[in-house]
Amino acid sequence: MTVTLASYLLVAAFLFCIGLYGALTKRNAVVVLLCIELMLNAVNLNLVAFSKYGPQPGIAGQVFSLFNITVAAAEAAVGVAILIALYRRRSTVNVDEMDTLKR
Amino acid sequence: MDEAVKNVLDWNWGAMAPELVILGAATLMTILDLLLPAGRDRRPLAWLGLAGILVAAFLVWRNVQAEPTHILYDMYRVDDFANAFKLVFLAGAAFALLLAVADVGPGGEASSGEKAIRDRGEYFYLLLTGLLGAMMLASAADLIVLFVGLEVLALSSYILVALRRQYLPAVEGAFKYVVNGGIASAITLYGMSFLYGLTGSTNLLAVGEGLRDAYVSGNAYLVYVAFFFLVVGVAFKIAAAPFHMWAPDVYQGAPTPVTAFLAVVSKAAGFALLLRLLLTAFLGLANPLDGSPLLFSELNVYVGAVAAASMIIGNTVALRQTNVKRMMAYSSIAHAGYLLVPFASLTTMVFSQMMFYLVAYLFMTMGAFAVIQLVARDRGSEDLRAFAGLFRRSPLLALAMTLFLLSLAGLPLTAGFIGKFYLFLSAVGREMYALAAIMVLTSVVSFVYYFAVIRQMFLRTGEEGDPGVRVPPTVGTVIALSAAATVLLGLLPDPALDLLAHTFNFSEMFLPLAE
Repeated sequence: MTVTLASYLLVAAFLFCIGLYGALTKRNAVVVLLCIELMLNAVNLNLVAFSKYGPQPGIAGQVFSLFNITVAAAEAAVGVAILIALYRRRSTVNVDEMDTLKR
Repeated sequence: MDEAVKNVLDWNWGAMAPELVILGAATLMTILDLLLPAGRDRRPLAWLGLAGILVAAFLVWRNVQAEPTHILYDMYRVDDFANAFKLVFLAGAAFALLLAVADVGPGGEASSGEKAIRDRGEYFYLLLTGLLGAMMLASAADLIVLFVGLEVLALSSYILVALRRQYLPAVEGAFKYVVNGGIASAITLYGMSFLYGLTGSTNLLAVGEGLRDAYVSGNAYLVYVAFFFLVVGVAFKIAAAPFHMWAPDVYQGAPTPVTAFLAVVSKAAGFALLLRLLLTAFLGLANPLDGSPLLFSELNVYVGAVAAASMIIGNTVALRQTNVKRMMAYSSIAHAGYLLVPFASLTTMVFSQMMFYLVAYLFMTMGAFAVIQLVARDRGSEDLRAFAGLFRRSPLLALAMTLFLLSLAGLPLTAGFIGKFYLFLSAVGREMYALAAIMVLTSVVSFVYYFAVIRQMFLRTGEEGDPGVRVPPTVGTVIALSAAATVLLGLLPDPALDLLAHTFNFSEMFLPLAE
């Protein structure tokens, strides 16, 4: 049985949608950061699938996904560091309570 | 594969000299910051950074009008498009650095008066790494470089916003920035993954060619999907409506020099990304039925919609704001809308129109934030009422602020008016009357909130016997330079327009590179 490009893209699209939905609706800030990682990994899946089964296969997609993984790690580190600073001030990771700037 | 083993030293590293200077300065500042004992004044580091920026600006200027060059297997290209944007970034970063020096000046009180920034070393070198990311972005000829440049700028900005980590609005704004920025990067990347998938290459020029074939060979809807995701991602970066929600919180929470950096350098970088990515990738697309270019006839309508939404939302919501920095955030959202107008109308003048307005925007925004920083620090409040009676206390400061606000509103004899006039002409020239009308009407609305500040300064009286606002020399320099440029560009725009039209050869961006 062969797995076609379309099924990979479909899985990636699902992952991306779940991630986007979670990032926009979840109340726990850690889960929000996790959901962003989910979106970025959907992109990696897309890139690797294209580089193997795409109309013009090539190595560039896999290189791109390696860059993605590295940058995503840096972004997660900064995000969590800021979240810790926020937690020290507010003692909460609930996104709904981060509303001191609204007026 | 003998080219692959070509000696690394044989490459034309001179093309990257400005970036290498900035990288070197930032690295040196980091190391010195580690070596200096804790609690020691870190301001000399800022002068080192400023020296680096001046050297880099000289090197960029030397590259202007040279043949476009490329290194690292076409991943990085130096052309006049990149040079023009780099000069804007360098000027913006230099001004932000000067403001930052005064922000941590004697007393060490950061602008909103809440808590001092103790980690002052980062304050200076993160501005430089952000600048480096923006410069990489402008020169990128490859999706990977584009993305890495974008993230270097974004990660530096996240940390800069969170610098005052004892101050709740700062960390809260920073967290919102991280979440929104992360979602925006993921959306941009998702769009880029389709560009790669359809064309099999990450090189922008190759993507442009491959996309043309993909469009006519039955993958048109995927091309639309990619365009949609990229526009949404870029709209986040430039804080255009309806993806602007992060901007007011971040602008309010960040230290004022960082806010100015975000409003000018980060936003200009977003426009560099917009032009570089969308123009090179999508310009070749043509409607198979009548051969009309897709970017001119169909896709630009969506960009026009984003521009209109930004102008309307930015200018109307700004009316309700009482915090000056929050008001300026909505003003910058509206300006993102104005700046998108030339991209929606897309004449051959798009570069010079956008660049002139960006330069005007650079000076008037930097000047306005410089005054806001001084007044907010003097009064210990960022409220609109902090400006009450400023004309009586510090007449020169009040007059300078009036000039910047009039320019932001787009009144005649200022740089903002000339810039806006050209944007208006481009929209009318392409018969986009709705967009032109929205631009004029929302500009009129914007007078209301800009004049609210002017009214505070001139008509309200502050407390009797108040001493004037102390102006540190660095901030004074920023205000004087910005005011001079705003007036000069407003009274004599021709030399600047000539420079943009003749010195910078923007169309180099599309030239395939000779080996």
